[in-house]
Amino acid sequence: MIEFRDFSLTYPTGSRPALREIDLVVPRGQFCAVVGAEGAGKTTLAGVISGVVPHMTGGASKGSARVCGRLLTETPPSELVGEVGLVMQNPFSQLSGARFSLREELAFGLENLGVGRAEMIRRVERVMADLRLTALADLSPYELSGGQQQLLAIGSALVMRPAVMVLDEPTSQLDAVGTGVVFDALETLRAQGVTVVLFEHRMERLARCVDRVLVLDEGRTAADGPPADVLTDPRLADWGVAPLRYTTAARRAVGRGLWEEDRPLPVTLEAAADGFAAALKSARTTGGL
Amino acid sequence: MDISPRSADDSPVHRLNPLTKLVFAVTVTVSAFALTMTWWPLLLFCTAVLPMVIASGTLRKFFPVLLALWVPIALTVYLIQGFFYPETSRVVAEIGPLELKYEGLVFATQTALRIMVLMGGFFLLLLTTHPGALMSAMTQRGMSPKTVYVVSAALQIAPALAGRAQGILHAQQARGLPVKGLRGRIRALVPMAGPLILGALTDVGDRAVAMETRGFGTSRRPTFLTEVSDTSAQRVARTVMGLCALTAVVANVLGVLR
Repeated sequence: MIEFRDFSLTYPTGSRPALREIDLVVPRGQFCAVVGAEGAGKTTLAGVISGVVPHMTGGASKGSARVCGRLLTETPPSELVGEVGLVMQNPFSQLSGARFSLREELAFGLENLGVGRAEMIRRVERVMADLRLTALADLSPYELSGGQQQLLAIGSALVMRPAVMVLDEPTSQLDAVGTGVVFDALETLRAQGVTVVLFEHRMERLARCVDRVLVLDEGRTAADGPPADVLTDPRLADWGVAPLRYTTAARRAVGRGLWEEDRPLPVTLEAAADGFAAALKSARTTGGL
Repeated sequence: MDISPRSADDSPVHRLNPLTKLVFAVTVTVSAFALTMTWWPLLLFCTAVLPMVIASGTLRKFFPVLLALWVPIALTVYLIQGFFYPETSRVVAEIGPLELKYEGLVFATQTALRIMVLMGGFFLLLLTTHPGALMSAMTQRGMSPKTVYVVSAALQIAPALAGRAQGILHAQQARGLPVKGLRGRIRALVPMAGPLILGALTDVGDRAVAMETRGFGTSRRPTFLTEVSDTSAQRVARTVMGLCALTAVVANVLGVLR
């Protein structure tokens, strides 16, 4: 579905490549998270997958990058509409600015694609229900809060039913409830066979639901694998990614005998609770406590 | 002041095709300005605009909006034309060095009534038509989606920029910028204008990306969420109204009905 082979990209004004020798294959239906420090190349990678970079930004590339079989460097974003959905960081600038209600804003892309009215209504109502936006349907997009606009931006991409969904920090303005709604919607997408690439810094939530985590460091792939492996890698902080609190706590507990050495370090709250409970039980049994 | 119709509002006028109401507003406006009889705009207002407003059930919303905007304009017109009418004319009253002129008052009356018809026609359109329906109707009648986009984006830009300006102002206030009083407000304009304009320019780039990824400008034939009904009776009515406006213009050119 997404296939990068030795792909590098340098912006016209850049002195060094924003992406270097990226090798990445994301199969259909996989939920992949990309993490990294500021300036690691996350937004550039999101732009390349969605066809925006280098078509709308300029830049020289090496290697190949394909999505749904199309060579991205030769396919403008307008030809990827319906195949790749993009949600950017700033929801305000993603509003069309030409629709007068949330419902109409959601339908904007479908209208451009010529989707039939009955199908359009069905999809818009479904997305509003999934993202809990139905009560706001008749409000102007400009009357919404930042978080609601962010949900609207996500909904505007979801409603197009793309084969690949790219989201660049989509929950930056959302509270815990809003974040939960977004992740639920993304998990539903994954279950429907949509490939999801999420650029996100809320590690605790993504550790629970993604299939794979890719770490970018200065434009290169620093690590790539299941969340349980990548997010417990001791080099994570060196790559500019804050380790999970559960993992840090467990790592410190190992040295003090409060975490079983053969037990993997946890990346979720549940795994941490289980691990500490097991260590406690073991200590009681052996008379350590 | 939001004068868009609520979704619960309904009447035969609400159900008319937006273009029919737009042509109506344009026709009464052209007629009011083309024919030069002093009281003609008032007659037009009472026999054409007012019955439509009553039929739409928006009378209670219509008059407060109309009066709030029309009265200050009418007063200004009366003051300027009454006192500074350029041609020699009969003096009705003298206030210090100023002379209130009869012909100036007549001209002001006619102008104010013409403006009332213009505002009345377009307020009727806005009170009974959702902007989205108007835009859909324009696109469905063959207007370029890009042109319609520019029109609707222009209608939206004021509330969007107002919201952003408010946010910038709050941020500046939090950093100690005094904004109370006239001088404070004037001084706050400069630090607000920079981020507002630069932010708007930055948004243009991101918005272009978002529009591209949402299929805007593709060669596909667009469809519409907002269904706009039309009937042959309305098409005939629009043609008749267009002919009426044309007749009024011709009458003006020929100098008849003065």
